[in-house]
Amino acid sequence: MENFASLLHGFGVALTTYHVMLMMVGVLLGILVGVLPGLGAPNGVSLLLPLTFTMDPVAAIILLTSMYWGALFGGSTTSILFNIPGEPSSVATTFDGYPMARQGHATQALTLAFLSAGFGALVGVILITVLSTWVAKFALRFSSPEYFAVYFLAFASFIGLGAASPFKTVVSMGLGFAFAAVGMDTVSGGLRLTYGFNELLSGISFLIAVIGLFGIGELMLTMEEGLRFDGIRARVKVRDVFKTIATLPRYWVTLLRSAAIGCWMGITPGGPTAASFMSYGLAKRLSRRKDGFGQGEPEGVVAPETADHAAGSSAILPMLALGVPGSATAAVMMGGLMIWGLNPGPMLFVERPDFVWGLIASMYLGNIVAVLMVLATIPLFASILRIPFAIIGPVIVVVCFIGAYTVAGRPFDLWLALAFGVVGYLFKKLDYPIAPLVLAMVLGDKAEDAFRQSMIMSRGSLSIFWSNGLVATLMLIGIALALGPLLSIVLSRLVKPKASSAVA
Amino acid sequence: MISRYTAEVGTATLTAGLGLAAVVGALEFGIGWGDAGPEPGAFPFYIGLLVVAASVGTLIQATVGRRGLQSVFLHREEAKRVASFFLPMLAFVVVARLLGLYVATALYLSFVMWVQGKYRFVIAVASGIAAAVIFYFVLEVAFQVPLLKGPLEAALGLY
Repeated sequence: MENFASLLHGFGVALTTYHVMLMMVGVLLGILVGVLPGLGAPNGVSLLLPLTFTMDPVAAIILLTSMYWGALFGGSTTSILFNIPGEPSSVATTFDGYPMARQGHATQALTLAFLSAGFGALVGVILITVLSTWVAKFALRFSSPEYFAVYFLAFASFIGLGAASPFKTVVSMGLGFAFAAVGMDTVSGGLRLTYGFNELLSGISFLIAVIGLFGIGELMLTMEEGLRFDGIRARVKVRDVFKTIATLPRYWVTLLRSAAIGCWMGITPGGPTAASFMSYGLAKRLSRRKDGFGQGEPEGVVAPETADHAAGSSAILPMLALGVPGSATAAVMMGGLMIWGLNPGPMLFVERPDFVWGLIASMYLGNIVAVLMVLATIPLFASILRIPFAIIGPVIVVVCFIGAYTVAGRPFDLWLALAFGVVGYLFKKLDYPIAPLVLAMVLGDKAEDAFRQSMIMSRGSLSIFWSNGLVATLMLIGIALALGPLLSIVLSRLVKPKASSAVA
Repeated sequence: MISRYTAEVGTATLTAGLGLAAVVGALEFGIGWGDAGPEPGAFPFYIGLLVVAASVGTLIQATVGRRGLQSVFLHREEAKRVASFFLPMLAFVVVARLLGLYVATALYLSFVMWVQGKYRFVIAVASGIAAAVIFYFVLEVAFQVPLLKGPLEAALGLY
């Protein structure tokens, strides 16, 4: 009940004309970056972040989260109409969304996608409303070793749950920590890893990394594939929209299951992409119409979309309550909070309840605004993709570099963005995961501080990570997750020695 | 034509090099126990070691599974497309450093539209300049965010 009262207070904060206007602007910008290839939620938020430095934190976070919702919706639009996922997390939507649109059910596919996405997001936000205070209170008991254990757990779950090679995940993560360490050391205040370059004195901003890795790298990949849009004309008919709304309750099992998967993957750093694939796979396995999947089965649109958005919104919970973001975009937003002088984590609930609950209330409103706006503006945004890529591509390049410059006003960052772009291109082509790198860059200093403070507390003995039940449990789960891939290889060798020798 | 195996080995070598750079850089700041707990170099040192180890792991994986990695990483046609995108972008960054972001934007957009988009020269140049002017008004006037400027802006007195 205490949460409910806080939420009502939050609505009071969020429901001003200025904030609702910001939501609409944010959603529109979000749909735009979601629709454009090469620009997605993480770098859309990175590009906008420097422009919000002078804004009030509540207004700024409303703008950024609304952009996030818009980008998620925009990503599914291009998946359905063009068979081009605007976001990695909407890849699974193309499997059935595009066939549906080709069969002339574009309106139905879009409406289903938006509504189930809205439902997923709503479940995520309700989860945040119910759990956040509890998690934050629990986390107030944490001291440095516990924090380090939580960070360790977050990164271990990337290794254990990610689809990529565990070595590649570790490389990506380690590079993120190394980049974060460049510049000033937050404990001693001294400089390190600058190799005599003045440009490196102030460190490497994670925003530059996101813009390069996600934006420029993605564009290079798009160019290499030789982009061709075979779009389907979308005219959203109002009557079809209402007809589709009436069919939605039929999918209640899929909706609930997908929302649950999404929430779980959002809170643990599995992220929206893994959530949408997992949900699609499960829906296909459990459906009575298995054969319809891949050929325009509505359930195949509902499942990934619900999970995608449930994960996207519930990723905010660990960011707010623990200071551990659950997705790359949440990581960028958390970096933003720190730049605005807020300290994400349990103390935020005590120090700035207006900010926390204003944000949570704005997530309810923002998603409603997003569903309405996206239904109204789809034809407009779909027509953007008909502009030749010779114009759109370079404009996105310019926006990325201008964004990189506005982060700190340093010309050197232009080179850094270009270098990160090349790295992003190579990493994407070779299946290195990029989210761990971004997360490590944002959390690098905090994780290192937590580790060093723990070491000071224990006078250099690693046994502090086993010193009480809480920290030991967290570390054990983390170690189990990190060693998960190794264990599963060993187990499969033991159980089926013949099969593995036949393969080798 | 580059095979996937070559690309894997090249990238893993690059990441191992970066890890090694972190290790070497960290040694300079002490990796042991100082007056205030672990010295500043300790954390980057072990992270660097971890990156090197994981890169070596990737290298071994690639070498062991070499037969499975003979697929083509980059075709000649694809390489051409990437280069035709990357080189103008590289030129854009160089020009931006010398002449400022606005001039570079106008030049870059005009060039790409004219040469790669096959638009008429006049239209391409007009669009490029128009885009630069729009960026100027959105950033400097509306958001009051200053961008990198060069001699042209100085001559026009736009500081």
